[in-house]
Formats: sequence, C-alpha cells, structure tokens
Amino acid sequence: MADGPKTILVVDDDPDARDFLAAVLQDNGYAVTTANDGEQAIALIEQSVPDLVALDITMPEKSGVAVYRRLKEDERLKSIPIIIVTGVSDDFKSFISSRRQVPPPEGYISKPVDHEKFLTMVRALIA
Amino acid sequence: MDPCPSPYFDSAPCYLTVIDRDLRIVHANRRFREGFGDPQGRHCYQLYKGRSEKCEVCPVERAFWDGQSHRNEGRVTRLDGMDVAVLSEATALRDENGDITAVINMATDITQLKDLQSQLRRSQRRYRLLFDEVPCYISIQDPDLHILQANRAFQAAFGSCLGCKCYEAYKHRVEPCVPCPVQETFEDGELRTREEVVTSLDGKQMNVLVTTAPIRNEQGQITGVMEMSADITEVRALESRLTSLGLLVGSVSHGLKGMLNGLAGGMYHVDVGFKKNDKARTEKGWATVQRNVARIQSMVSDILYYAKDRVPMWESLSAAQVAEDVCGLMEWRAKDQGVELTKMLDPGAGEFEADAQAVHSLLVNLVENSLDACRLGAKKSGYEVTVRLQGYPDHIQYEVEDNGVGMDRETREKAFSLFFSSKGTGTGLGLFISNRIARAHGGTIELDSQPGVGTRFVVKLPRERPLRQEPKDSRPPETEEIHG
Repeated sequence: MADGPKTILVVDDDPDARDFLAAVLQDNGYAVTTANDGEQAIALIEQSVPDLVALDITMPEKSGVAVYRRLKEDERLKSIPIIIVTGVSDDFKSFISSRRQVPPPEGYISKPVDHEKFLTMVRALIA
Repeated sequence: MDPCPSPYFDSAPCYLTVIDRDLRIVHANRRFREGFGDPQGRHCYQLYKGRSEKCEVCPVERAFWDGQSHRNEGRVTRLDGMDVAVLSEATALRDENGDITAVINMATDITQLKDLQSQLRRSQRRYRLLFDEVPCYISIQDPDLHILQANRAFQAAFGSCLGCKCYEAYKHRVEPCVPCPVQETFEDGELRTREEVVTSLDGKQMNVLVTTAPIRNEQGQITGVMEMSADITEVRALESRLTSLGLLVGSVSHGLKGMLNGLAGGMYHVDVGFKKNDKARTEKGWATVQRNVARIQSMVSDILYYAKDRVPMWESLSAAQVAEDVCGLMEWRAKDQGVELTKMLDPGAGEFEADAQAVHSLLVNLVENSLDACRLGAKKSGYEVTVRLQGYPDHIQYEVEDNGVGMDRETREKAFSLFFSSKGTGTGLGLFISNRIARAHGGTIELDSQPGVGTRFVVKLPRERPLRQEPKDSRPPETEEIHG
C-alpha cells in the first residue's frame, strides 16, 4: 500500500473553527475532511476511516458525545484516535460523566485553540 | 288528660305527643312535659313554638289528610328558653275500623347533630376560602396528571381546566414535563420544590416556585398530589444584578470562546499569508478576523444592553440601509451554511428615528436565529432566509423569515425569555435583547412559527421616537431608555 498523507476528520458546527483546524493541518501535510455535525461525521467515517478525528462536543443533529460513543463502541473504529476540541469546560465534564464503559479520549484541547499545541498533540498520536 | 297509652310511651327518649284533629295535644310523654310543660289540651304549635296559629307546614295535619307518615325538621323552644333542633315524624293512629283518630308525633332532639353539621359546613367554607384566597396557584392532580381541583387564583390565571392535564394548563405542552415533580411525588411520596416558567391564559410568562405534596387516603395510599406554585416573577426581576451577571457570564462563555477561536483562526491565516507572501491567504484571514470581531461586538452589545441602562443615541436612519448592512454582515455565514439569504427591500421605505447600533443588533439577532433554525433543520439543503422591509406612513416593518426547524408552542412562548435557548450553543440573550430593543423604540416583535415549517419575525418600529413621558411614574418606561 502506498504511503499517502495521514487523513484527519475535523468535526465542528462553527465554520471558522473547522476552517482554522483544517488550514493548520493542511499546512502541515495532512489530508483533511470536514463535517459540520455529528451525523455527517459518522457518514464520512463510514465511507473512509480517517487516521484521527478532531471532535467538537456541542453540535446539532448528533452531539460530539454521541459520535464519540458510536466510534468507541465499534470494534472496527474504536482505535481511531480522537481529540476533543471544545469551548466550555462544562461540556467536557458532562462528556466525561456520560462516557461510561468507553475509554477516555486520546486528546483534549480547549478553544480558543493554540494551534502549535494542537499540532504537537496530533503528531504524538499519528506520527 | 287520659292516662299514657303505655309505660314505654312515657319513658321514650324523645318528645312524644298524641294530637287530635284540632291539633290539640291529648297525650304527651314525660320528656315532653319536662321540656314544654303540661299540655292540658293546648295546641301543639302553642307549646312547641309559642305560636297563636298553626304552622304553615304541619306534618300532623298532613298525616290526618292522607294517612301517611310525614317528616320535617324545625326548631322549637323549650320552657327554659333553649332553642332545640328537632326531627319530627307524624304518624296516623287508626281505630278498629281503620279511621284515623289521632296522630302520634315523635320529635327527636338533633341539636347536637345540627351543631356538628354547622361546624362541618363552616370548616368546609373556611377550607374553601383558604384554598381559593391563598395568594398562589393550587391544583390537585390524579396519577394521570388530570387536574381534579384548582383554586380561584389558578382558574383565573390558567382557565377552568378541571379534567385537563396539568402540563396543558401550565405550559401549553402536549406531553408531560421532564422531569415532572408531580409524578416524582406520586412515586415516592416526597415533597418536591422546583422553579418553572409557566404561561397564563393571557400569554403572560411567570417564574413560579412549584412545591408538590402527596394527598393520602385513610389507608395511607397516595390518591392525589397537590401542586402549589408561588409567583416569583417579581422576585426574579429584583434579583441582584450580580447574580444575573454571573448567569450571563456562564451563558455566553461558550459563544465567546468560539468567537475567540475564530479570531485565532483568522490570525493564523494572516500570519501564514504574510510569511508566504500569499495575498489571498492574508485577505481570507483578515476577513475571518473582521467577521469574528463583528460577532464579538454584537455579543458585547447584547451583554451591555442586558447589563446596564443605556440611553439610546437617537438619529435618523435609512431603513433600507440598516437592512443592507445587516444582510451584508450575515451573507458570509448564510453562504457558508448553504442558506440562500434573500433581500426584498422597499426602496421607498424612507427613514426612521432609532439607535443605529440597537436596531442593528436587533436584526442581526433575528437573522442569526433564522440561520440557526436552518442549520438545525432535518433537510440537508433548500434553506432560505428572507429579509423584507416595507415602509408605512407611521412605521417601518422588517420581516425575517426562514424555512428552518420551526418552534413548538413551548419554544414560541419562551422565545423572548432571558437565558432560554432551544439550541445547544445558544446564550438565551439574542431574542430577549431584540424584544427589549423593539420595546425601547416603542415598537413590537411578533413571532409566527410552526415546527418543520419555519419561523417569521415581524418587527414594527415607529418612524418617530417615542415621546418622553413626564415623571408621573417613578420609573421611566422602556420607551425612554434601554434598560439593562
């Protein structure tokens, strides 16, 4: 199999937030797809499994919590590293409390995102 | 007088008399004689009631007339002056030929019973008075949440809704509230206290403190739950500004962090654009920065309107230009969401007096709400937001209409409430502020919405600023200042 760029799915309902993370990742050699809600994210992952997912929590249609559970409960998809990207710490707390019987996320970064810190986290997860 | 008919007659524990057709007492037992004296052939009405003529309704006379027994209740006065309630029964006495010769009248002293009945009625009246006059809304529900009883205050505020469901009356909902304190009290018999927002018959929203308590039968089973709601709207309105600001900070923090994140993204593009001498990238980043600065300005403006009194900066504005500015600002977001933003502006709408920044915020909030409604809709495409403007002689009218997710009745009724948001990311400030701004300009916002169909806001603003009211009221109305 040919070694192409690593693929990352950025999931956020805020277009500026999607664009920001996608630009940072593309500038650093990653192939990026984006989804603006949880349902779209699941549909894209079903089509093509990414190497990593950057996931917002509070979104319409299907929240980040629901997407996270869906991925971590799926034998085929549970190994995809997930970085939670969210604006309010309360979101993350509710995320943690709702995350019974699934492992903790591989990464967590709060908004506004420090893009250097974000990149370091991504590189550590998918070298 | 003839001797007593039998020893039992004399010792009977009631007033026993035998009366002839002239209503004269021919026999009387001992208790009667002790109570009313020796009859000596006197008329029953003289002894029982001190009357000179027979009573209007006389059971003895009726017994003579039809041979049947007749009963009635009345009050008689004893020799000692005591007023006694009696239950009388008059029965005809016949001879061997079957002819009625006399009537025996048995009068039982029921004074104690009548006093108890009277006390019971007074207690019931007091209970009803208390139930009705207590200055809060009380209803009693069955396990299916039907209202079995409601006090006067409740019926005045929410209508005569006996038999209907409590959530229909209180909240105009079609299904039970979640969680439901009444159901919880039915389940465990414990008291519950909760704060709720309810809507009265006339559409007035009230903050109420709801307390539920079980009502048990003699076996200790819960047969009903009493729901008592105290109107704390004014308490809420008078709550310390610091507390409200605390809530405000919590409610807007998510939005603010999102906008700061947008700014960080814009700065990143500008930075990369400069480094790579990529003009397009720099311009893209700068547009992102400008957009997020505008969003932050809008939110700060909302916060300021909420947080402090602000005297409007009145000026003459072009109604069409205001709409153009708002649509220009929101175009990027509509495009990004794949929503078609259409302007239908009356070029001759003319000018009106208003605070430019306030009206701008008002309309931006409405368009933002519509875009959010499109984003939350079930369809993947085909969304439209239309901004209309029409000039009238005395006012101008803006309309913002979308074909997004729409609102159910509860959401419609609470749409303009502070900190109410049906969106996960909403602050609950936008429509509250818009409504406040419209009122401060002497105008109105009307809302028409159906789930799955869409929402239409109609804003009417007078062409001339509202007249300043003379200080008859201690507090000037919101037509004079925009209060926080």
